[in-house]
Amino acid sequence: MFSNTLDNYAHNNNLNGMNTYFKVLFGIVTMLVSLISTSPVVPLIIALFMSILIVFIAKVSWKFYLKFFLFPFSFGLITFIFMAIFFGVGAHILELGIFNLAVTADGFNLGLLVFARMMGGFTCLAFLALTTPMTELFSVLRLIKIPQIVLEIAMLMYRYIFVFLDEAINMYHTQETRLGYSSLKKSFKSMGMLGSNLFIRTWMKGEQAFIAMESRCYDGSIKTMKKQGSIKTMGTRNLVLLVLFEVVLIMGVYFTGSFRIF
Amino acid sequence: MHIYEGFLPWQWCVLWYVLAIPVVVYGIIKIKKVTDEHPESKPILAVAGAFMFVLSSLKLPSVTGSCSHPTGNGLGAVLFGPAVVSVLCVIVLLFQALLLGHGGLTTLGANTFSMGIIGPLAAWLIYKGWQKGGWSILVGIFFAAFFADLLTYVTTAVQLSLAFPIPTFEEAMVKFMGIYAVTQLPLAAAEGILTVVIFDYIMKLRPDVLDKLGVLELAKKVGKIEEPKEAV
Repeated sequence: MFSNTLDNYAHNNNLNGMNTYFKVLFGIVTMLVSLISTSPVVPLIIALFMSILIVFIAKVSWKFYLKFFLFPFSFGLITFIFMAIFFGVGAHILELGIFNLAVTADGFNLGLLVFARMMGGFTCLAFLALTTPMTELFSVLRLIKIPQIVLEIAMLMYRYIFVFLDEAINMYHTQETRLGYSSLKKSFKSMGMLGSNLFIRTWMKGEQAFIAMESRCYDGSIKTMKKQGSIKTMGTRNLVLLVLFEVVLIMGVYFTGSFRIF
Repeated sequence: MHIYEGFLPWQWCVLWYVLAIPVVVYGIIKIKKVTDEHPESKPILAVAGAFMFVLSSLKLPSVTGSCSHPTGNGLGAVLFGPAVVSVLCVIVLLFQALLLGHGGLTTLGANTFSMGIIGPLAAWLIYKGWQKGGWSILVGIFFAAFFADLLTYVTTAVQLSLAFPIPTFEEAMVKFMGIYAVTQLPLAAAEGILTVVIFDYIMKLRPDVLDKLGVLELAKKVGKIEEPKEAV
């Protein structure tokens, strides 16, 4: 029902102490390289590399990572099959025998490319999500000049998501023990009650939060302590390694650009 | 349904970002104006965003047997207006990407455009129009949520067909719409019903909240619902 958020892992992993800006730069740039690739080779290498990094270096439990990875993987596979069958106009390479359907060469190549790009992009996203806590990402957002008001709302939201998730889980279990989800009609009624009650509670919490903030001298802006560490403390060695890594990847993109299986 | 990381070619990622950013900036300016006038609205906006996030992590009982989640943008648009919801939606989508692994950073622009702009705008327009007509408020909510969901999926289908126009845009559109019509039509109806039930309860339990948000003003003018009783 309520999937385990990645927050626990973001706070407890082996790469936690690493410079935030470096991790973000690494994740985003690699993601972009995977995005611009025109052949499936480089994105698949990125997917493999990031997975190794997450499981062996950051030491995130592989069972959890596998479960987390399974959903986008199966979705990507479905997309791949769908595109291979329906998105080609070229030569048939495999007749399916039913409904006059066939896998075409260009459909297969396109499907494989999209599948590879999804895996490459997703593993980069997973790397960011699993190794960097949200609170540290806020400092990166501040650096790229996201307006203060958006950041403040985002920070408050981040806090309340967990409060409400707890309340929603409690309400859900209570309803379930009273057979609230035993039929379709009842589940709609229970779900509606849960949602509306949650909304009313969120509203009350919001009002109370404002009172609490105002009694602590809230004047319209929330002031936070600045996190230590900046782009300058990233270290020359790390930066050189990063640039080298990305250059190798881009060269890979360039040289494998016309690679096709069929 | 979110468009996954890496699904769209980079040219389309850029285009949807370019289209989504002006609307979001307009929403930010609007939020800034509101919060400058009423500082108490800031925490309320934040909890509303958190509510949208939690609502979207609830799994919807669906008719086809597959499970999906309500987007909550129809309800949000009716309660807060489309401009504010577009900003909240960007933050919610960012959290969904980074906390749950749904959606993605490169496709954030495209997802914002379908879920945070087109869907809420449709819901809001339908709801306002419905109120002007003076028909039943709950039926209006149903259609607002239903079409918000539906148009979100239509927009997603358009985005996908534009990115993969094979052999032509029209034919790709038919293919993507074919998938969505089967799986998402029942889901849109389910979300519509759920939103009605939620709205009905809020109207019964805390009509003053809706009153404060100005959702019920028009409805009261046409006399479709009774004045909330004064609490003693």
